[in-house]
Amino acid sequence: MRTVEESGISTWLRESESPFAFYFVLLFHTFGLALLVGANAVIDLRLLGIQKEIPIAPLKRLFGVMWLGFTINAVSGALLLVAYPTKALTNPVFYIKLALIGIAVWIMTKLSSGVFNDSSLDDVAMAARGRTLAKWSIVLWIGAISAGRLLAYTYKYLTFPC
Amino acid sequence: MNLAHLHLVLNHFPIIGTIIGLSLFAGSLAGKNDDLRRASLIVLAAVALLALPTFFSGIGAQAAVRKDPSVPVDLIERHEGAAILALFLMEITGALALAELWRRRSWNMVAILFFSVVTLGMMARLGKTGGDIRHPEIRSEESGLSALVHHLEPSPVKFRDLMLISKWWWAFMMDLHFIGLTLLIGTVGILNLRMLGFAKPLPIAPLHRMMPWALAGFGINTVTGILAFIGMPNYYTFDVAFWLKILALLLLGLNAAAFYLTNAFNSVQRLGAGEDAPRLAKFFAAASLVLWFAVIALGRYIQSFSDTISIQ
Repeated sequence: MRTVEESGISTWLRESESPFAFYFVLLFHTFGLALLVGANAVIDLRLLGIQKEIPIAPLKRLFGVMWLGFTINAVSGALLLVAYPTKALTNPVFYIKLALIGIAVWIMTKLSSGVFNDSSLDDVAMAARGRTLAKWSIVLWIGAISAGRLLAYTYKYLTFPC
Repeated sequence: MNLAHLHLVLNHFPIIGTIIGLSLFAGSLAGKNDDLRRASLIVLAAVALLALPTFFSGIGAQAAVRKDPSVPVDLIERHEGAAILALFLMEITGALALAELWRRRSWNMVAILFFSVVTLGMMARLGKTGGDIRHPEIRSEESGLSALVHHLEPSPVKFRDLMLISKWWWAFMMDLHFIGLTLLIGTVGILNLRMLGFAKPLPIAPLHRMMPWALAGFGINTVTGILAFIGMPNYYTFDVAFWLKILALLLLGLNAAAFYLTNAFNSVQRLGAGEDAPRLAKFFAAASLVLWFAVIALGRYIQSFSDTISIQ
C-alpha cells in the first residue's frame, strides 16, 4: 500500500491542484456508473413488466452501453485505488462493494446469455426467464452504489499512517 | 453582479409566476379551456424550477447583508425559515403540475388548486419578510395569521443541524441522490439515444412512457439536493461548479419545454421500429444527453471548487 501511495502517479492524482487529476477520474467513475447502472435499470424494469409495449429483443443493444460503462469504471476505479490505496483496502466496505459488483456483473452475463442470446424466445418467454435475474440485478446494483457511497464516509485511514 | 444581486433579480419570478400560473389555471377550470390549462401547468412547473436558484442565492445575499450591523438578524432568519417552507410548497405544486401534464386526473386538479393557493400565500409572506430586511419603513408587528404561519416555519439553524445530525443520514441522502441519478439517466438516456438513431428497432412511444420513472428520479434528486443545500449552505453557495450545475438544470428545463412545445415531440411520438427521427428532435436529444452529463460532471466538481466565489 505504502509503495503505491508514494509513487508519482498516486501522489499526483491525490495532491495535484489540476482539475484533471482526482476529480476528473471521479467524474468518469460517475459517468461509467450512469451508463452501466442506468442501462441495467431500463432492462430490469422492462423485464419486470414495466411498459410491455417495448419489444425486449432490441434492448440487447444496451449491453454495449453497459460494457462501455463497466470498462470506464474498471479503469477509473483502478486509478482511484492507486490514488488512495490505504483508504480503500483498510475498509471492509470496499470488499463488499467489489463482491456486489462481481455478482451483479455475473447476473448481467446470465441475462445476456440466457435471455438475450436465445433467439427462440419471444417477449413473454424472455420476460419470464429474466424476471428473477432482473430483481437481483436491481438489488445488487443499489447495494453496489450504496457501498460505493459509504466508502466516502466510513474509511478509517485516508492515507498510510506514519 | 454578485449573489445578492442575483437573489434580488430572481426573487420576483416565483411570486409573480405563481400569480400568473394560478390565475391561468383557475381561468382554464372556469372556461374549460384545455390549452390554457396546459399553459398554466407549464408556468407552474417552470416557476418551481426557477424557485431553486432563487432559494439558493439567498444564502449569498444573506452573507452580504449580514455585514451591515443595522439589519436585525432575526428578520433574516424569519425570511429564511419562510423561504424553506415556501420552497417545499412550490416544489410540491410543480411536481403536481408535471404529473397533471402527463396525465389528467380530477383529484390532482383539486390538489393543484389547493397547493398553488397555499404557495401563493406563502410567496406573499416571503416577499414581505424579505422586504422587511432592508426596509424599516414597511416593518410591522406580526399578528394573527402571519404569527400563526411563523410557528409552522422551520428554524433555519435547527433544520441545518438536523441535516448534519449524523454522517449516516448524510450518506443516505447522497446514496438516494446517486440512485435517483441512475433512474433518470437510464430512462432519459435510452429515449435520447433512440432518437439519435441507436437501437432503431425500438418504437419511441413506449420508451417515452417510461418518463414518469425519470421524473421520479428527478424528484428524489430535487428533494435530496435541497436538503443537502440546507445542511451545508455555505459549502454550495460559494462554489462555481454548483452554480454551473444549476444553470445546466435550467437549460435542461428550457430544452424539455422546446422539445414538447415545438413539433419535435409530435414528430417522434409515432415513430415505429426502424424509423428515423427528424433533425430537430435529434438536436434536442443530443442537447439533453450533453447537458445531463454536464450536470453529473459539475456535481462531481463541487467538492474541488469550494470557495471559488468570494463573499461580497
